[in-house]
Amino acid sequence: MRKTPTWPRHAIMLVVCVLMLIPFYWVLKTSLTGENIYAYPPRIIPVDPHLFNYVDVWYMIPFPRYLLNSVIVTLMAVAGNLLFNTTAGYALTKNFPGRRWVVLLLLSCMLIPFQATIIPAYLITSWLGVLNTHLGMALPMLSTIICIFIFKASFEAVPRSLIDAARIDGLSEWRIVLRIMLPLSKPAVATNVILNAIWSWNAFMWPLITTRSAEMQTLPLGLARFLSVMENTTGALYAFVVLVLVPGLAIFLMAQKEFIRGLTAGATKG
Amino acid sequence: MRRRNLLQATAVTAALAALPRPGIAQAPKKITWLTWNLVHLESHIKGWIASFVAANPGVEVEWIDKKGPELPAFYQTQLVAGTPPDVIDIQGALGLEYAGQGALLDLSPILAREAAVKGSFNADYLSNWVFEGKNYMVPYYISKTLLFWNKTRFRDAGLDKPPTSFAEIMAAATKIKGGEKTGLLTLNFDWLYWPFMQMSGVELLSADLKTPTFNTAKAADALGQLAEATKSGAINGISWTGRWVEPNEAFATGNVGMLHAHAPAYFWIKGKGPWINADTLGAAHAPGGWATPNSHGLGISKGSKNPELAWAFVKHITGDVVADSLARTASVLTGNKVVDQAQLVRLEKDDPAAFQVLKTQFEHTDKMCGNWRLGNDSRVKDAFWPEFQSAVLGRKDPKTALADAERRVARELRRA
Amino acid sequence: MAACFLLPALTIFFLYRILPLGWNLWLSFHAWSPLKPAQFIGLEHYEEMLLDDEVFWQALGNTLIFIGCSPLAIMAALAIALLVNSDLKGAAIYRTIVFLSYPLMTVAVGIIWRWLYDERSGFINWVLRSAGIINEPLKFLQSFDMALPSVIVADFWQVLGFYMIILLTGLQAIPQHLYEAARVDGVPARARFLHITLPLLRPSIFLCFVVGILNSFTSFDLVYVMTNGGPGHATELLITLIYKAGFGQTRFDYAAALTVVQFLLLVVLTWVANRAAGGNAGSRET
Repeated sequence: MRKTPTWPRHAIMLVVCVLMLIPFYWVLKTSLTGENIYAYPPRIIPVDPHLFNYVDVWYMIPFPRYLLNSVIVTLMAVAGNLLFNTTAGYALTKNFPGRRWVVLLLLSCMLIPFQATIIPAYLITSWLGVLNTHLGMALPMLSTIICIFIFKASFEAVPRSLIDAARIDGLSEWRIVLRIMLPLSKPAVATNVILNAIWSWNAFMWPLITTRSAEMQTLPLGLARFLSVMENTTGALYAFVVLVLVPGLAIFLMAQKEFIRGLTAGATKG
Repeated sequence: MRRRNLLQATAVTAALAALPRPGIAQAPKKITWLTWNLVHLESHIKGWIASFVAANPGVEVEWIDKKGPELPAFYQTQLVAGTPPDVIDIQGALGLEYAGQGALLDLSPILAREAAVKGSFNADYLSNWVFEGKNYMVPYYISKTLLFWNKTRFRDAGLDKPPTSFAEIMAAATKIKGGEKTGLLTLNFDWLYWPFMQMSGVELLSADLKTPTFNTAKAADALGQLAEATKSGAINGISWTGRWVEPNEAFATGNVGMLHAHAPAYFWIKGKGPWINADTLGAAHAPGGWATPNSHGLGISKGSKNPELAWAFVKHITGDVVADSLARTASVLTGNKVVDQAQLVRLEKDDPAAFQVLKTQFEHTDKMCGNWRLGNDSRVKDAFWPEFQSAVLGRKDPKTALADAERRVARELRRA
Repeated sequence: MAACFLLPALTIFFLYRILPLGWNLWLSFHAWSPLKPAQFIGLEHYEEMLLDDEVFWQALGNTLIFIGCSPLAIMAALAIALLVNSDLKGAAIYRTIVFLSYPLMTVAVGIIWRWLYDERSGFINWVLRSAGIINEPLKFLQSFDMALPSVIVADFWQVLGFYMIILLTGLQAIPQHLYEAARVDGVPARARFLHITLPLLRPSIFLCFVVGILNSFTSFDLVYVMTNGGPGHATELLITLIYKAGFGQTRFDYAAALTVVQFLLLVVLTWVANRAAGGNAGSRET
């Protein structure tokens, strides 16, 4: 067995990581010091770091309330997506008449930008009676097309033999999804959870349009408080940004072990 | 001041008394107030609303605040849905656009009826929102552009007075530039740069607002000089590419001779530039006294279900008590003559530098430009500005840029 | 049965994508502003757009350039995905760091990159000048020529993690025993990649291409905060035009026409990508 040296790979990844981290380092640094990012020359080491900006964030906006709203809406969005996308993705692996058209339809739906849908979406949500509610905020995000296709691709990699065997055993379609497809598609599930959690958590414009009362607002809407009158970029703004980032990151860290698991699971597939 | 409150309370009571009463139990009368980027004044706003509710029992006021980029999206969506906020706070010419759209209530009859209220406002600023002869908004907080000059940079260049003509501005800028230093910075959003053209004898549109009149030799000359100065570094290029933060930031470093911006810039640069005080910073008028206003106004949505209550609220907010509170808290001028006068008197004692700056806001108010009463201001602006920017950045020569701009502006005016 | 499984998702899309598209389509043939009745004007908006609006053409060009650059990002993401998909020590850390930028609020990304590119006090110019590579600061976002590439790089930074995660998911689905068998047979690494990895990764790569197409409008917040389409219209994309026409100039009817045209353009591009991937979103027809 030939052993290929791993240090070139590490070297490349290190360069990539440094490049990826530079902007992020500045966000973190400014959140710890509140110094003016436009000061010249730029200072690499944080001057006089402190955590007060994070305390400020807690008090400048109704942080716990906004956090709770974000959590509820995100949970709804992730749950909805897991349910609807798996079923839809599975349906697309079957060869039913008109499948090509459904695939094209879904691909086309992806191409409609949110900004062009704001007014009709608001009117529809109003007609449904869910304005200014958690459900209203989560509704447009309860299913996402990219994730449907991710599931489709993942399900299609499951060997037919397993599915056929299950059918012979008399399992219903739903059971097949649950017992066979999903366990073998853990990376897809992980990706689904990560992406939908992020999209829902960071959603800004839609909650802005559909909520009126301060009690219903989600965390990103608190941004306005830190982008003060004159677009000042203060430490509190960056502390806020870091705080909003943490849950998305945490979910990624928790879910990404599925990628490692999938590595060994593949060895036993088929 | 007490008399005004009594007057207001009487007016509100009379108005409420005149309204038809619903038969059964009365639901609280509710109005919604939409403000533009005032979330940092939350506690004060809640206080002002509380005092209104106390004076008008049985009334509810819902307060919504949005930042500039999102406010139009929010407002338009509400408009389409039929639930527009009753009282809105709008910046600059957008108010005229909403008026042109038919979204705002014509306040002229109300103002005609209540001469005392009308008289409480600075007439020139009040007229900023007259569209097709009708007045749609009243001033909430006001400002216009002026020329800040860095006395140290001027002295080093052998100058001791602010410039009094376009030529002098260019000359001063050229003298001051060198190394890290530049001569002139200007803000460019919302027509704030227009005084440079106006002082050069350029009119954007004909008096009836139907024809572009800016494609002239004078304009080409002025534009050419601005482009030359930008190229040489006399004018800092950020003037044409930066928005709010970058130009103010650059001036706050102390390396720029002049900043052409509206009064609120003072408080921002003061925070960023420790060198700034009455001895080092001068506040002058742009040559000719020309200035572009950039004020906030309060208007009432036509679709409001409680217009009388909305008007009472507007009067409360622009009345002496609340306006004075706003002026002190946010260091702004309100357009309420009594309040502003008191503010200036106070500042003359407490903050001479701020006084110099804010004093300019009430001088030459007959020379306000860059404020055409158009119902499609943003379209005209979007048609003109990119060509202007291309010219000053040396991308297009002035004559071509003006010709292209003329074509595009004419198209927008034709469509109106 | 398939219908049943597809129904919930399709309902959401019907309400929040298809109906709005229909609204835009209808509106594009009318003259309308909120509070005024709609008037049928046929193809006038389209005529204006195609014959009389040079900004549209510039935005169209910029959008195509934006989309055209996505394969570069996808290739980089693929390389990274391959590197971190192995049993490389610390792969999890590398993955996390590359992905870190994606969950970051776009407003923050825009503000930070605007500062990074700043002529006077920006980090990039400072590094280049300190290293002696350049003497004069580069005007990234203020230059007509450099603005769009600069925005594309910033966007690239943010979505790299997104591409990576899609490709990683796809890589996970490839059965390891195929590689084992090939190694035993003495197939070199490059051939393994070309004949095992790539074909089986086709659905994921196709998805990445579609995401690259979508990125021409999902990057709206970033462009809006960084340059607002400027200088001039150097970074104007179709989506910024749509937003400005709608909410900046209150011309929802014209914005609707722009939406329809952008939609058609993207449909064509997606169809081409689909064909290139072999149809059926890259999967093998079963």
